[in-house]
Amino acid sequence: MAKDRYGQEDYSRPIRRVLIGTLVVILLALFGLWRIDSPRVERFRAALVDTVVPSFDWALVPVTKAAEMIESFHSYTRIYEQNQELRRELQQMKAWKEAALQLEQKNAKLLDLNKVRLDPQLTHITGVVLADSGSPFRQSVLLNVGARDGIRDGWATMDGLGLVGRISGVGQTTSRVILLTDANSRIPVTIQPSGQKALLAGDNSILPPLDFLENPGLVRPGDSVITSGDGGVFPAGLLVGQVAQGSDRRLRVRLAADYERLDFLRVLRSRPTEIITDPGSLIEPFRPPQPYGPPPPPAAEAAPVAGGGNG
Amino acid sequence: MAEGPLSGVWTHRGLFAGLVSFWLFLRILPLSTLPAGWPGPDLLVCLTFAWVLRRPDYVPALLIFAVFLLEDMLTMRPPGLWTLIVLLGSEFLRNRELLTRQLPFALEWVMVAAVILLMLLAQRLVMSIVMAEQTSFGFAFVQIVLTILCYPLVVAVSRLAFGIRKAATGEMDARGRRL
Repeated sequence: MAKDRYGQEDYSRPIRRVLIGTLVVILLALFGLWRIDSPRVERFRAALVDTVVPSFDWALVPVTKAAEMIESFHSYTRIYEQNQELRRELQQMKAWKEAALQLEQKNAKLLDLNKVRLDPQLTHITGVVLADSGSPFRQSVLLNVGARDGIRDGWATMDGLGLVGRISGVGQTTSRVILLTDANSRIPVTIQPSGQKALLAGDNSILPPLDFLENPGLVRPGDSVITSGDGGVFPAGLLVGQVAQGSDRRLRVRLAADYERLDFLRVLRSRPTEIITDPGSLIEPFRPPQPYGPPPPPAAEAAPVAGGGNG
Repeated sequence: MAEGPLSGVWTHRGLFAGLVSFWLFLRILPLSTLPAGWPGPDLLVCLTFAWVLRRPDYVPALLIFAVFLLEDMLTMRPPGLWTLIVLLGSEFLRNRELLTRQLPFALEWVMVAAVILLMLLAQRLVMSIVMAEQTSFGFAFVQIVLTILCYPLVVAVSRLAFGIRKAATGEMDARGRRL
């Protein structure tokens, strides 16, 4: 481009300056726009990723699978021990499965006896992981389901067992999942036997720490951590993991989801919970139309009772 | 330079874009979704600077702009900032390409290292001025150090595999202009 060192094409130097200046202004404007109106730029980013990454799709899946095959080939060397180990584990699992089935039946019966109404609207869509964030500072993956499949921002994402993250950024055919390990991830959780509420705050490590714990003395390593549903973004009661104590004596969470192999992820369709705004109105007894005479005594007795129940 | 299918400027520009796409493709492969213990080096910066100091006409500013903006977008960085910093850094080096022809490689390495370090500091400074969230300084610093350590490697590969080397005195390009 610039051939201006030996006096050739001297005119190109000012043109170059103008070009560089224009690029600098464009970039500054873009960065400023991102800082001021981040959602708009992030929507543009989602749309761009939506067009760029699926065009790599034909190559992404085979290469990933091939790499995984090579990785698992290493484990073939000790296949016999692994087989034995798996058989032992399977035997134990069978016992557990039997127990779980019995408990499930018992639970269903008890729920039925108590007339508990479960949330019937929790359905899911399963997507395949297309790509990861490509940056060591961001923990996110890209799924091959998007606005076309009805995905919305904020929905919870799980693998078979535990919570993986939440949807943040939806394109037409892809959506981005911010993992629980990302530094921007904050999830309200409950720690199970003690019922303590806390915030699971990602920090780019495999074991995200628990923040804002009211009474850490009540929490022990090994306690199970589930989502609390506070804030109304996530459904309550999704398994997150177990409490563990990090090397820095902080309480952290060992995630239940298998983060080493995120292949298929389940996106839970969560409906916004209905908000009760009505404070409740005065309940009056039903009065049959009686044009003449005072009301009958039983109705007059019922009125204060109904009012007390309302208050 | 040898006359051949690879001698054209546009072929090399295409090659640069191809290398960058390949590297981006490798990085977004979902091989491991665990958080990395060590951040890998930023090979794109190495490649760009190595080529700018050897054959500036192969990496025009518009190509750098396009490539790094795409990287910003794909890897969830604040869009524009790192592109801007790399663009300014590469322009600084481009204006000193003639000077580095006479320098030994060690000095060139020191200069590139200083530019990359300044780029990191500039990025952190701007991010803290606009009060955006940033990653820990240690992590970013490790990445920059690895990037600087990888620079000679990238230079060697560019030279051996793609024939990118500094123009000798009085060398002409295909149209007979001095480089």
